[in-house]
Amino acid sequence: MTAPAITAEHLARAFGPTKALVDVSLDVAAGSVCALLGRNGAGKTTTVRILTTLLPAEGGRAQVAGFDVASQAALVRTRIGVTGQTATMDELLTGAENLETIGRFCHLGAAISRRRTGELLEQFDLVGASRQLVKRYSGGMRRRLDLAASLIHHPEVLFLDEPTTGLDPVGRAEMWTSIRSLVSGGTTVLLTTQYLDEADRLADTIVVIDRGLVVAEGTPEQLKASIGRPFIRVTLTEADPAALEQVGRLLGEGAEVSGRSVSAPASDGLASLDQVVVWLRDLGVPVHEVGLEHPSLDEVFSTVTDHSHHPGVHSASAGGRGA
Amino acid sequence: MSDTAVRAERQLRDGLLDAYTATRRFLIRGKRQPDVIFGTLLMPVMFVVLFGYVFGSSIAVPGGNYRSYLMPGLFAMSVLFSAANVAVAVATDMSEGVVDRFRTLPIARSAIIIGRSLSTLLLGIPVLVVMIACGLAVGWRPVDGLGNAILAFLLFELFGVAIGWLGILVGLLAGSAQAADVIINIPIFLLGFISSVFVDPANMPAWLRVIAYWNPMSALVTAGRQLFGNTIGPPPSGVWSLEHPIATTFALAMVIIIVVAPICVHRYSHSIR
Repeated sequence: MTAPAITAEHLARAFGPTKALVDVSLDVAAGSVCALLGRNGAGKTTTVRILTTLLPAEGGRAQVAGFDVASQAALVRTRIGVTGQTATMDELLTGAENLETIGRFCHLGAAISRRRTGELLEQFDLVGASRQLVKRYSGGMRRRLDLAASLIHHPEVLFLDEPTTGLDPVGRAEMWTSIRSLVSGGTTVLLTTQYLDEADRLADTIVVIDRGLVVAEGTPEQLKASIGRPFIRVTLTEADPAALEQVGRLLGEGAEVSGRSVSAPASDGLASLDQVVVWLRDLGVPVHEVGLEHPSLDEVFSTVTDHSHHPGVHSASAGGRGA
Repeated sequence: MSDTAVRAERQLRDGLLDAYTATRRFLIRGKRQPDVIFGTLLMPVMFVVLFGYVFGSSIAVPGGNYRSYLMPGLFAMSVLFSAANVAVAVATDMSEGVVDRFRTLPIARSAIIIGRSLSTLLLGIPVLVVMIACGLAVGWRPVDGLGNAILAFLLFELFGVAIGWLGILVGLLAGSAQAADVIINIPIFLLGFISSVFVDPANMPAWLRVIAYWNPMSALVTAGRQLFGNTIGPPPSGVWSLEHPIATTFALAMVIIIVVAPICVHRYSHSIR
Protein backbone atom coordinates (compact mmCIF):
# COMPACT_ATOMS: atom_id res chain seq x y z
CA MET A 1 0.00 0.00 0.00
CA THR A 2 3.00 2.31 -0.07
CA ALA A 3 2.78 2.75 -3.84
CA PRO A 4 1.69 6.28 -4.67
CA ALA A 5 -1.99 6.61 -5.52
CA ILE A 6 -1.26 9.62 -7.71
CA THR A 7 1.91 10.38 -9.60
CA ALA A 8 2.25 13.26 -11.99
CA GLU A 9 5.42 14.04 -13.89
CA HIS A 10 6.04 17.39 -15.51
CA LEU A 11 2.44 18.11 -16.45
CA ALA A 12 2.04 21.00 -18.87
CA ARG A 13 -1.01 22.54 -20.47
CA ALA A 14 -1.74 25.81 -22.22
CA PHE A 15 -5.02 27.41 -23.24
CA GLY A 16 -4.12 29.45 -26.28
CA PRO A 17 -1.46 31.91 -25.16
CA THR A 18 -2.13 31.27 -21.48
CA LYS A 19 0.19 28.75 -19.86
CA ALA A 20 -2.03 27.24 -17.22
CA LEU A 21 0.48 24.56 -16.26
CA VAL A 22 4.19 24.87 -16.94
CA ASP A 23 5.67 22.00 -14.98
CA VAL A 24 3.79 20.28 -12.21
CA SER A 25 4.97 17.04 -10.65
CA LEU A 26 3.55 15.45 -7.56
CA ASP A 27 3.29 12.17 -5.69
CA VAL A 28 0.51 11.34 -3.32
CA ALA A 29 0.93 8.26 -1.14
CA ALA A 30 -2.02 5.90 -0.91
CA GLY A 31 -4.23 6.72 2.05
CA SER A 32 -2.89 10.23 2.51
CA VAL A 33 -4.31 13.67 1.95
CA CYS A 34 -2.49 16.07 -0.31
CA ALA A 35 -3.49 19.71 -0.59
CA LEU A 36 -2.77 21.59 -3.77
CA LEU A 37 -2.46 25.11 -2.54
CA GLY A 38 -2.44 28.17 -4.73
CA ARG A 39 -4.16 31.38 -5.65
CA ASN A 40 -6.85 31.70 -8.27
CA GLY A 41 -5.38 30.90 -11.66
CA ALA A 42 -2.34 29.11 -10.24
CA GLY A 43 -3.21 25.92 -12.12
CA LYS A 44 -4.95 23.91 -9.41
CA THR A 45 -8.10 23.14 -11.33
CA THR A 46 -6.21 22.40 -14.53
CA THR A 47 -4.10 19.86 -12.63
CA VAL A 48 -7.22 18.22 -11.21
CA ARG A 49 -8.91 18.16 -14.62
CA ILE A 50 -5.93 16.39 -16.14
CA LEU A 51 -5.72 13.87 -13.30
CA THR A 52 -9.46 13.15 -13.53
CA THR A 53 -9.31 12.51 -17.32
CA LEU A 54 -11.34 15.61 -18.15
CA LEU A 55 -8.53 17.36 -19.95
CA PRO A 56 -5.58 15.96 -21.89
CA ALA A 57 -2.15 17.18 -20.80
CA GLU A 58 0.08 18.64 -23.48
CA GLY A 59 3.23 17.58 -21.71
CA GLY A 60 4.21 15.08 -19.05
CA ARG A 61 2.29 12.10 -17.81
CA ALA A 62 0.26 11.02 -14.84
CA GLN A 63 -0.97 7.87 -13.19
CA VAL A 64 -3.93 7.57 -10.87
CA ALA A 65 -4.60 4.36 -8.94
CA GLY A 66 -1.94 2.71 -11.07
CA PHE A 67 -3.41 3.62 -14.47
CA ASP A 68 -2.31 6.17 -17.00
CA VAL A 69 -4.80 9.04 -17.19
CA ALA A 70 -4.38 9.39 -20.95
CA SER A 71 -4.19 5.84 -22.29
CA GLN A 72 -6.24 4.12 -19.57
CA ALA A 73 -8.80 6.81 -18.85
CA ALA A 74 -11.72 4.38 -18.65
CA LEU A 75 -9.95 2.36 -15.93
CA VAL A 76 -9.02 5.51 -14.03
CA ARG A 77 -12.67 6.59 -14.07
CA THR A 78 -13.77 3.40 -12.32
CA ARG A 79 -11.45 4.18 -9.41
CA ILE A 80 -11.84 7.88 -8.82
CA GLY A 81 -14.41 10.17 -7.28
CA VAL A 82 -14.48 13.82 -8.26
CA THR A 83 -16.15 16.79 -6.66
CA GLY A 84 -15.61 19.88 -8.74
CA GLN A 85 -15.99 23.53 -7.97
CA THR A 86 -19.33 23.79 -9.68
CA ALA A 87 -22.39 21.96 -8.49
CA THR A 88 -22.89 18.86 -10.57
CA MET A 89 -26.16 17.63 -9.14
CA ASP A 90 -29.30 17.79 -11.18
CA GLU A 91 -31.59 20.44 -9.73
CA LEU A 92 -34.72 18.79 -11.06
CA LEU A 93 -33.96 15.50 -9.37
CA THR A 94 -34.22 14.76 -5.67
CA GLY A 95 -31.08 14.12 -3.66
CA ALA A 96 -31.83 10.40 -3.64
CA GLU A 97 -32.54 10.29 -7.39
CA ASN A 98 -29.28 12.05 -8.09
CA LEU A 99 -27.26 9.57 -6.07
CA GLU A 100 -29.09 6.60 -7.53
CA THR A 101 -28.44 7.84 -11.05
CA ILE A 102 -24.74 8.18 -10.34
CA GLY A 103 -24.73 4.71 -8.78
CA ARG A 104 -26.32 3.21 -11.88
CA PHE A 105 -23.80 5.02 -14.05
CA CYS A 106 -21.07 3.38 -11.96
CA HIS A 107 -22.68 0.04 -12.87
CA LEU A 108 -23.58 -0.84 -9.33
CA GLY A 109 -27.02 -2.02 -10.43
CA ALA A 110 -30.36 -0.73 -9.18
CA ALA A 111 -30.40 -2.55 -5.84
CA ILE A 112 -26.87 -1.66 -4.73
CA SER A 113 -27.31 1.91 -5.99
CA ARG A 114 -30.35 2.27 -3.78
CA ARG A 115 -28.59 0.77 -0.77
CA ARG A 116 -25.51 2.99 -1.19
CA THR A 117 -27.79 6.00 -1.66
CA GLY A 118 -29.39 5.28 1.71
CA GLU A 119 -26.00 4.87 3.40
CA LEU A 120 -24.58 8.07 1.94
CA LEU A 121 -27.65 10.17 2.73
CA GLU A 122 -27.26 8.96 6.29
CA GLN A 123 -23.52 9.61 6.37
CA PHE A 124 -23.88 13.15 5.04
CA ASP A 125 -26.89 14.03 7.14
CA LEU A 126 -29.22 14.44 4.18
CA VAL A 127 -31.87 11.85 5.02
CA GLY A 128 -34.47 14.51 5.83
CA ALA A 129 -33.95 16.19 2.45
CA SER A 130 -33.58 13.03 0.39
CA ARG A 131 -37.02 13.39 -1.27
CA GLN A 132 -36.62 17.11 -1.94
CA LEU A 133 -35.55 18.50 -5.28
CA VAL A 134 -31.93 19.65 -5.22
CA LYS A 135 -32.97 23.15 -6.30
CA ARG A 136 -34.35 23.59 -2.79
CA TYR A 137 -31.02 22.60 -1.16
CA SER A 138 -28.73 25.08 0.57
CA GLY A 139 -25.18 25.59 -0.69
CA GLY A 140 -23.75 23.39 2.03
CA MET A 141 -26.26 20.61 1.35
CA ARG A 142 -25.44 20.68 -2.36
CA ARG A 143 -21.73 20.32 -1.66
CA ARG A 144 -22.36 17.43 0.69
CA LEU A 145 -24.57 15.74 -1.87
CA ASP A 146 -21.89 16.29 -4.50
CA LEU A 147 -19.32 14.75 -2.20
CA ALA A 148 -21.65 11.85 -1.46
CA ALA A 149 -22.10 11.25 -5.19
CA SER A 150 -18.34 11.04 -5.61
CA LEU A 151 -18.20 8.26 -3.05
CA ILE A 152 -21.00 6.02 -4.20
CA HIS A 153 -18.67 3.45 -5.79
CA HIS A 154 -16.06 3.51 -3.00
CA PRO A 155 -13.36 5.26 -5.04
CA GLU A 156 -9.71 4.63 -4.24
CA VAL A 157 -8.77 8.20 -4.99
CA LEU A 158 -10.92 11.23 -4.33
CA PHE A 159 -10.41 14.61 -5.95
CA LEU A 160 -11.91 17.65 -4.28
CA ASP A 161 -11.55 20.88 -6.19
CA GLU A 162 -11.99 23.73 -3.73
CA PRO A 163 -14.52 21.82 -1.66
CA THR A 164 -15.34 24.70 0.67
CA THR A 165 -15.05 27.75 -1.58
CA GLY A 166 -18.16 29.87 -1.25
CA LEU A 167 -19.50 28.07 1.80
CA ASP A 168 -20.41 29.85 5.00
CA PRO A 169 -18.40 28.96 8.14
CA VAL A 170 -20.94 26.36 9.23
CA GLY A 171 -20.97 24.68 5.83
CA ARG A 172 -17.20 24.76 5.81
CA ALA A 173 -16.92 23.11 9.19
CA GLU A 174 -19.37 20.42 8.08
CA MET A 175 -17.35 19.74 4.93
CA TRP A 176 -14.15 19.45 6.96
CA THR A 177 -15.78 16.93 9.24
CA SER A 178 -17.00 14.93 6.25
CA ILE A 179 -13.59 14.97 4.58
CA ARG A 180 -11.81 13.91 7.76
CA SER A 181 -14.13 10.97 8.23
CA LEU A 182 -13.37 9.82 4.68
CA VAL A 183 -9.68 9.98 5.24
CA SER A 184 -9.94 7.84 8.33
CA GLY A 185 -11.57 5.28 6.04
CA GLY A 186 -8.36 5.05 3.99
CA THR A 187 -9.34 6.99 0.88
CA THR A 188 -6.55 8.90 -0.83
CA VAL A 189 -7.54 12.53 -1.24
CA LEU A 190 -6.18 15.28 -3.43
CA LEU A 191 -7.83 18.55 -2.59
CA THR A 192 -7.23 22.01 -3.93
CA THR A 193 -7.69 25.06 -1.82
CA GLN A 194 -6.78 28.70 -1.56
CA TYR A 195 -7.17 28.55 2.19
CA LEU A 196 -4.05 27.89 4.21
CA ASP A 197 -5.89 26.87 7.32
CA GLU A 198 -7.79 24.31 5.29
CA ALA A 199 -4.56 22.82 3.92
CA ASP A 200 -2.99 22.90 7.36
CA ARG A 201 -5.93 21.17 9.00
CA LEU A 202 -6.71 18.52 6.43
CA ALA A 203 -3.54 17.67 4.57
CA ASP A 204 -0.61 15.36 5.27
CA THR A 205 1.37 17.01 2.51
CA ILE A 206 1.01 20.35 0.79
CA VAL A 207 2.09 21.22 -2.72
CA VAL A 208 2.14 24.95 -3.34
CA ILE A 209 1.69 25.88 -6.97
CA ASP A 210 1.94 29.27 -8.54
CA ARG A 211 1.66 30.21 -12.20
CA GLY A 212 1.68 26.59 -13.25
CA LEU A 213 4.80 25.66 -11.29
CA VAL A 214 5.37 23.81 -8.04
CA VAL A 215 7.04 26.36 -5.81
CA ALA A 216 7.15 24.42 -2.55
CA GLU A 217 6.10 21.09 -1.14
CA GLY A 218 6.27 19.08 2.02
CA THR A 219 4.37 18.50 5.23
CA PRO A 220 2.93 21.63 6.79
CA GLU A 221 5.75 21.49 9.37
CA GLN A 222 8.46 21.02 6.75
CA LEU A 223 7.15 23.96 4.78
CA LYS A 224 7.19 26.18 7.80
CA ALA A 225 10.70 25.03 8.69
CA SER A 226 12.10 25.38 5.19
CA ILE A 227 11.01 28.94 4.78
CA GLY A 228 12.05 30.41 8.05
CA ARG A 229 13.88 29.51 11.17
CA PRO A 230 11.93 30.05 14.35
CA PHE A 231 12.06 33.45 15.93
CA ILE A 232 11.80 34.79 19.45
CA ARG A 233 9.10 37.22 20.37
CA VAL A 234 9.26 39.26 23.54
CA THR A 235 6.11 41.09 24.54
CA LEU A 236 6.31 43.77 27.23
CA THR A 237 3.47 44.69 29.57
CA GLU A 238 3.34 48.13 28.00
CA ALA A 239 4.67 49.91 24.92
CA ASP A 240 7.58 51.73 26.59
CA PRO A 241 9.88 52.91 23.76
CA ALA A 242 13.00 52.97 25.91
CA ALA A 243 12.41 49.46 27.22
CA LEU A 244 11.59 48.20 23.73
CA GLU A 245 14.84 49.63 22.43
CA GLN A 246 16.80 47.97 25.23
CA VAL A 247 15.21 44.62 24.45
CA GLY A 248 15.90 45.15 20.77
CA ARG A 249 19.61 45.68 21.47
CA LEU A 250 19.58 42.59 23.63
CA LEU A 251 18.10 40.43 20.88
CA GLY A 252 20.71 41.69 18.47
CA GLU A 253 20.81 41.53 14.65
CA GLY A 254 17.47 41.61 12.84
CA ALA A 255 15.34 42.67 15.77
CA GLU A 256 12.05 44.32 14.83
CA VAL A 257 9.71 46.27 17.01
CA SER A 258 5.97 46.17 16.49
CA GLY A 259 3.49 47.40 19.05
CA ARG A 260 4.70 46.34 22.45
CA SER A 261 6.68 43.37 21.23
CA VAL A 262 10.10 42.78 19.75
CA SER A 263 10.97 39.82 17.59
CA ALA A 264 14.24 38.50 16.22
CA PRO A 265 15.52 35.31 14.57
CA ALA A 266 16.38 32.54 17.00
CA SER A 267 19.51 31.18 15.37
CA ASP A 268 19.91 28.38 17.89
CA GLY A 269 16.26 27.67 18.53
CA LEU A 270 15.55 26.74 22.15
CA ALA A 271 19.09 27.54 23.28
CA SER A 272 18.61 31.11 22.08
CA LEU A 273 15.36 31.31 23.98
CA ASP A 274 17.05 30.16 27.20
CA GLN A 275 19.72 32.79 26.79
CA VAL A 276 17.20 35.54 26.12
CA VAL A 277 15.17 34.65 29.20
CA VAL A 278 18.29 34.97 31.39
CA TRP A 279 19.20 38.31 29.81
CA LEU A 280 15.68 39.65 30.24
CA ARG A 281 15.70 38.77 33.94
CA ASP A 282 18.98 40.75 34.32
CA LEU A 283 17.55 43.68 32.37
CA GLY A 284 14.56 43.95 34.70
CA VAL A 285 11.98 45.33 32.22
CA PRO A 286 8.35 44.25 32.81
CA VAL A 287 7.86 41.30 30.45
CA HIS A 288 4.41 40.05 29.56
CA GLU A 289 5.43 37.04 27.49
CA VAL A 290 8.46 35.44 25.87
CA GLY A 291 8.18 32.71 23.29
CA LEU A 292 9.71 30.82 20.43
CA GLU A 293 7.52 31.11 17.36
CA HIS A 294 7.43 29.45 13.96
CA PRO A 295 6.49 31.27 10.82
CA SER A 296 2.84 30.73 9.97
CA LEU A 297 1.82 28.89 6.84
CA ASP A 298 0.45 32.21 5.69
CA GLU A 299 3.95 33.60 5.67
CA VAL A 300 5.30 30.53 3.94
CA PHE A 301 2.70 30.92 1.24
CA SER A 302 3.42 34.59 0.76
CA THR A 303 7.14 33.98 0.62
CA VAL A 304 7.08 31.16 -1.93
CA THR A 305 4.55 32.79 -4.19
CA ASP A 306 6.07 36.21 -3.80
CA HIS A 307 6.79 37.97 -7.05
CA SER A 308 6.89 41.48 -8.37
CA HIS A 309 3.46 41.16 -9.93
CA HIS A 310 1.89 40.95 -6.53
CA PRO A 311 2.99 44.10 -4.76
CA GLY A 312 0.42 43.45 -2.06
CA VAL A 313 2.14 40.24 -1.13
CA HIS A 314 5.40 41.98 -0.27
CA SER A 315 3.98 44.01 2.51
CA ALA A 316 2.25 40.97 3.93
CA SER A 317 5.36 38.80 3.96
CA ALA A 318 7.48 38.20 7.00
CA GLY A 319 10.19 40.60 5.87
CA GLY A 320 13.68 39.93 7.17
CA ARG A 321 12.46 38.16 10.23
CA GLY A 322 12.83 34.59 9.12
CA ALA A 323 15.47 34.49 6.42
CA MET B 1 -15.88 -17.58 -25.41
CA SER B 2 -12.65 -15.66 -25.84
CA ASP B 3 -11.58 -12.97 -23.47
CA THR B 4 -12.17 -10.15 -25.91
CA ALA B 5 -15.64 -11.46 -26.72
CA VAL B 6 -16.53 -11.50 -23.03
CA ARG B 7 -15.22 -7.98 -22.65
CA ALA B 8 -17.09 -6.77 -25.72
CA GLU B 9 -20.32 -8.31 -24.45
CA ARG B 10 -19.84 -6.69 -21.07
CA GLN B 11 -19.12 -3.34 -22.70
CA LEU B 12 -22.26 -3.59 -24.79
CA ARG B 13 -24.37 -4.50 -21.77
CA ASP B 14 -22.92 -1.64 -19.70
CA GLY B 15 -23.43 0.72 -22.63
CA LEU B 16 -27.10 -0.21 -22.98
CA LEU B 17 -27.60 0.13 -19.23
CA ASP B 18 -25.94 3.56 -19.30
CA ALA B 19 -28.18 4.70 -22.14
CA TYR B 20 -31.18 3.44 -20.18
CA THR B 21 -30.05 5.30 -17.04
CA ALA B 22 -29.48 8.48 -19.03
CA THR B 23 -32.89 8.23 -20.70
CA ARG B 24 -34.51 7.65 -17.33
CA ARG B 25 -32.80 10.77 -15.97
CA PHE B 26 -33.99 12.93 -18.85
CA LEU B 27 -37.53 11.57 -18.49
CA ILE B 28 -37.62 12.40 -14.77
CA ARG B 29 -36.35 15.88 -15.62
CA GLY B 30 -39.00 16.25 -18.30
CA LYS B 31 -41.71 15.27 -15.85
CA ARG B 32 -40.53 17.91 -13.36
CA GLN B 33 -40.97 20.81 -15.76
CA PRO B 34 -44.74 21.29 -15.90
CA ASP B 35 -44.36 24.71 -17.54
CA VAL B 36 -42.40 23.15 -20.39
CA ILE B 37 -44.90 20.30 -20.69
CA PHE B 38 -47.74 22.79 -20.79
CA GLY B 39 -45.98 24.87 -23.43
CA THR B 40 -45.14 21.96 -25.69
CA LEU B 41 -48.69 20.60 -25.44
CA LEU B 42 -50.22 24.01 -26.08
CA MET B 43 -48.11 24.63 -29.15
CA PRO B 44 -49.90 22.10 -31.40
CA VAL B 45 -53.31 23.37 -30.32
CA MET B 46 -52.21 26.90 -31.10
CA PHE B 47 -50.91 25.85 -34.50
CA VAL B 48 -54.13 24.12 -35.42
CA VAL B 49 -56.08 27.25 -34.53
CA LEU B 50 -53.61 29.69 -36.14
CA PHE B 51 -53.06 27.90 -39.40
CA GLY B 52 -56.25 25.89 -39.61
CA TYR B 53 -58.55 28.82 -39.01
CA VAL B 54 -56.70 32.19 -39.05
CA PHE B 55 -54.69 31.61 -42.22
CA GLY B 56 -56.62 28.56 -43.37
CA SER B 57 -59.80 30.58 -43.84
CA SER B 58 -58.09 32.42 -46.70
CA ILE B 59 -56.25 29.47 -48.17
CA ALA B 60 -58.08 27.42 -50.73
CA VAL B 61 -56.88 23.93 -51.55
CA PRO B 62 -58.01 22.66 -54.92
CA GLY B 63 -60.46 19.82 -54.46
CA GLY B 64 -59.86 19.41 -50.77
CA ASN B 65 -60.18 20.59 -47.22
CA TYR B 66 -57.30 22.84 -46.06
CA ARG B 67 -57.32 21.45 -42.55
CA SER B 68 -56.91 17.92 -43.84
CA TYR B 69 -54.07 19.19 -46.01
CA LEU B 70 -52.54 21.05 -43.06
CA MET B 71 -52.50 18.35 -40.38
CA PRO B 72 -49.65 16.24 -41.82
CA GLY B 73 -47.72 19.51 -42.14
CA LEU B 74 -48.29 20.28 -38.46
CA PHE B 75 -47.09 16.80 -37.49
CA ALA B 76 -43.91 17.57 -39.42
CA MET B 77 -43.58 20.97 -37.76
CA SER B 78 -43.87 19.54 -34.26
CA VAL B 79 -41.03 17.18 -35.13
CA LEU B 80 -38.98 20.14 -36.32
CA PHE B 81 -39.67 22.20 -33.23
CA SER B 82 -38.63 19.39 -30.93
CA ALA B 83 -35.20 19.63 -32.58
CA ALA B 84 -35.02 23.26 -31.52
CA ASN B 85 -35.89 22.30 -27.96
CA VAL B 86 -33.28 19.58 -27.85
CA ALA B 87 -30.59 21.93 -29.17
CA VAL B 88 -31.28 24.41 -26.39
CA ALA B 89 -31.48 21.67 -23.77
CA VAL B 90 -28.16 20.14 -24.84
CA ALA B 91 -26.45 23.54 -24.89
CA THR B 92 -27.79 24.20 -21.39
CA ASP B 93 -26.55 20.81 -20.19
CA MET B 94 -23.12 21.46 -21.65
CA SER B 95 -22.78 24.73 -19.79
CA GLU B 96 -23.49 23.08 -16.44
CA GLY B 97 -21.17 21.20 -14.13
CA VAL B 98 -23.15 18.01 -14.57
CA VAL B 99 -21.30 17.26 -17.81
CA ASP B 100 -18.01 17.13 -15.94
CA ARG B 101 -19.54 14.78 -13.45
CA PHE B 102 -20.70 12.44 -16.19
CA ARG B 103 -17.37 12.56 -17.93
CA THR B 104 -15.50 11.43 -14.84
CA LEU B 105 -17.80 8.43 -14.46
CA PRO B 106 -17.10 5.13 -16.16
CA ILE B 107 -20.00 5.63 -18.58
CA ALA B 108 -20.05 4.63 -22.22
CA ARG B 109 -19.22 7.83 -24.04
CA SER B 110 -22.32 7.66 -26.18
CA ALA B 111 -24.76 6.97 -23.36
CA ILE B 112 -25.73 10.49 -22.33
CA ILE B 113 -26.23 11.62 -25.90
CA ILE B 114 -28.23 8.54 -26.86
CA GLY B 115 -30.28 9.00 -23.70
CA ARG B 116 -31.01 12.55 -24.80
CA SER B 117 -32.16 11.37 -28.20
CA LEU B 118 -34.36 8.58 -26.82
CA SER B 119 -35.95 10.76 -24.16
CA THR B 120 -36.73 13.44 -26.74
CA LEU B 121 -38.51 10.79 -28.80
CA LEU B 122 -40.47 9.53 -25.79
CA LEU B 123 -41.35 13.00 -24.51
CA GLY B 124 -42.58 13.86 -28.01
CA ILE B 125 -45.24 11.14 -27.93
CA PRO B 126 -47.75 12.99 -25.70
CA VAL B 127 -47.38 16.04 -27.96
CA LEU B 128 -48.15 13.89 -30.95
CA VAL B 129 -51.19 12.43 -29.20
CA VAL B 130 -52.56 15.89 -28.43
CA MET B 131 -51.94 16.89 -32.00
CA ILE B 132 -53.77 13.85 -33.37
CA ALA B 133 -56.69 14.65 -31.08
CA CYS B 134 -56.72 18.25 -32.34
CA GLY B 135 -56.60 17.04 -35.91
CA LEU B 136 -59.50 14.66 -35.41
CA ALA B 137 -61.44 17.45 -33.71
CA VAL B 138 -61.09 19.77 -36.68
CA GLY B 139 -62.11 17.17 -39.20
CA TRP B 140 -58.84 15.63 -40.30
CA ARG B 141 -59.09 11.88 -40.98
CA PRO B 142 -56.50 9.32 -42.00
CA VAL B 143 -58.51 7.61 -44.71
CA ASP B 144 -56.00 5.09 -45.97
CA GLY B 145 -56.33 2.54 -43.19
CA LEU B 146 -54.87 2.25 -39.68
CA GLY B 147 -51.80 0.35 -40.88
CA ASN B 148 -50.71 3.14 -43.19
CA ALA B 149 -51.50 5.78 -40.57
CA ILE B 150 -49.23 3.99 -38.07
CA LEU B 151 -46.58 3.73 -40.75
CA ALA B 152 -46.88 7.47 -41.31
CA PHE B 153 -46.38 8.24 -37.61
CA LEU B 154 -43.39 5.91 -37.48
CA LEU B 155 -41.92 7.79 -40.42
CA PHE B 156 -42.53 11.14 -38.69
CA GLU B 157 -40.87 9.85 -35.53
CA LEU B 158 -37.90 8.44 -37.45
CA PHE B 159 -37.43 11.77 -39.18
CA GLY B 160 -37.84 13.42 -35.78
CA VAL B 161 -34.99 11.32 -34.38
CA ALA B 162 -32.80 12.33 -37.32
CA ILE B 163 -33.61 16.03 -36.95
CA GLY B 164 -33.14 15.60 -33.20
CA TRP B 165 -29.55 14.46 -33.81
CA LEU B 166 -28.97 17.61 -35.84
CA GLY B 167 -30.43 19.57 -32.93
CA ILE B 168 -28.06 17.78 -30.53
CA LEU B 169 -25.13 18.66 -32.79
CA VAL B 170 -26.14 22.32 -32.81
CA GLY B 171 -26.48 22.20 -29.02
CA LEU B 172 -22.97 20.72 -28.69
CA LEU B 173 -21.40 23.25 -31.06
CA ALA B 174 -23.19 26.34 -29.77
CA GLY B 175 -21.40 28.26 -27.05
CA SER B 176 -24.54 28.86 -25.00
CA ALA B 177 -28.22 28.06 -24.81
CA GLN B 178 -29.11 31.45 -26.29
CA ALA B 179 -26.74 30.90 -29.19
CA ALA B 180 -28.22 27.45 -29.83
CA ASP B 181 -31.70 28.94 -29.80
CA VAL B 182 -30.84 31.51 -32.43
CA ILE B 183 -28.77 29.19 -34.62
CA ILE B 184 -31.33 26.39 -34.74
CA ASN B 185 -34.36 28.57 -35.37
CA ILE B 186 -33.12 30.03 -38.64
CA PRO B 187 -32.96 26.73 -40.56
CA ILE B 188 -36.11 25.54 -38.83
CA PHE B 189 -38.17 28.45 -40.10
CA LEU B 190 -36.67 28.24 -43.58
CA LEU B 191 -37.20 24.48 -43.76
CA GLY B 192 -40.69 24.73 -42.34
CA PHE B 193 -42.05 27.55 -44.42
CA ILE B 194 -40.32 27.18 -47.79
CA SER B 195 -42.00 23.83 -48.32
CA SER B 196 -45.34 22.22 -48.89
CA VAL B 197 -45.98 22.08 -45.14
CA PHE B 198 -48.49 24.95 -45.12
CA VAL B 199 -49.21 25.73 -48.75
CA ASP B 200 -48.87 24.17 -52.18
CA PRO B 201 -45.61 25.51 -53.65
CA ALA B 202 -47.20 25.50 -57.13
CA ASN B 203 -48.07 29.19 -56.72
CA MET B 204 -44.61 30.28 -55.54
CA PRO B 205 -42.19 32.09 -57.87
CA ALA B 206 -40.18 29.61 -59.90
CA TRP B 207 -36.87 29.90 -58.01
CA LEU B 208 -38.55 29.48 -54.64
CA ARG B 209 -40.75 26.68 -55.95
CA VAL B 210 -37.68 24.61 -56.83
CA ILE B 211 -36.32 25.00 -53.31
CA ALA B 212 -39.71 24.21 -51.81
CA TYR B 213 -40.13 21.07 -53.90
CA TRP B 214 -36.70 19.68 -53.08
CA ASN B 215 -36.91 20.62 -49.39
CA PRO B 216 -36.82 17.38 -47.37
CA MET B 217 -39.70 18.69 -45.26
CA SER B 218 -41.84 18.61 -48.40
CA ALA B 219 -40.89 14.98 -48.93
CA LEU B 220 -41.83 14.23 -45.30
CA VAL B 221 -45.28 15.86 -45.46
CA THR B 222 -45.94 14.41 -48.89
CA ALA B 223 -45.14 10.97 -47.50
CA GLY B 224 -47.47 11.67 -44.61
CA ARG B 225 -50.30 12.87 -46.85
CA GLN B 226 -49.86 9.82 -49.02
CA LEU B 227 -50.02 7.38 -46.10
CA PHE B 228 -52.97 9.20 -44.48
CA GLY B 229 -54.76 9.44 -47.83
CA ASN B 230 -54.82 13.25 -47.65
CA THR B 231 -53.10 13.82 -50.99
CA ILE B 232 -54.42 16.43 -53.37
CA GLY B 233 -53.37 15.99 -56.94
CA PRO B 234 -50.35 14.21 -58.37
CA PRO B 235 -46.79 15.19 -57.34
CA PRO B 236 -44.98 17.74 -59.54
CA SER B 237 -43.28 15.86 -62.32
CA GLY B 238 -39.51 15.63 -62.35
CA VAL B 239 -39.13 16.04 -58.60
CA TRP B 240 -37.89 12.60 -57.62
CA SER B 241 -38.09 13.25 -53.88
CA LEU B 242 -41.80 14.02 -54.14
CA GLU B 243 -42.51 11.17 -56.52
CA HIS B 244 -40.95 8.78 -54.00
CA PRO B 245 -41.54 10.65 -50.74
CA ILE B 246 -41.55 7.65 -48.39
CA ALA B 247 -38.29 6.21 -49.71
CA THR B 248 -36.71 9.66 -49.74
CA THR B 249 -37.70 10.47 -46.17
CA PHE B 250 -36.66 7.07 -44.87
CA ALA B 251 -33.29 7.14 -46.64
CA LEU B 252 -32.53 10.72 -45.64
CA ALA B 253 -33.41 10.08 -41.99
CA MET B 254 -31.18 7.01 -41.90
CA VAL B 255 -28.28 8.84 -43.52
CA ILE B 256 -28.57 11.74 -41.08
CA ILE B 257 -28.66 9.39 -38.08
CA ILE B 258 -25.74 7.28 -39.31
CA VAL B 259 -23.58 10.30 -40.08
CA VAL B 260 -24.55 12.79 -37.36
CA ALA B 261 -24.92 10.53 -34.32
CA PRO B 262 -21.24 9.44 -34.29
CA ILE B 263 -20.15 13.06 -34.83
CA CYS B 264 -22.23 14.07 -31.79
CA VAL B 265 -20.76 11.29 -29.65
CA HIS B 266 -17.25 12.24 -30.67
CA ARG B 267 -17.90 15.91 -30.11
CA TYR B 268 -19.47 15.24 -26.70
CA SER B 269 -16.60 13.12 -25.45
CA HIS B 270 -13.99 15.61 -26.62
CA SER B 271 -15.71 18.78 -25.56
CA ILE B 272 -13.70 20.96 -23.25
CA ARG B 273 -15.31 23.67 -21.29
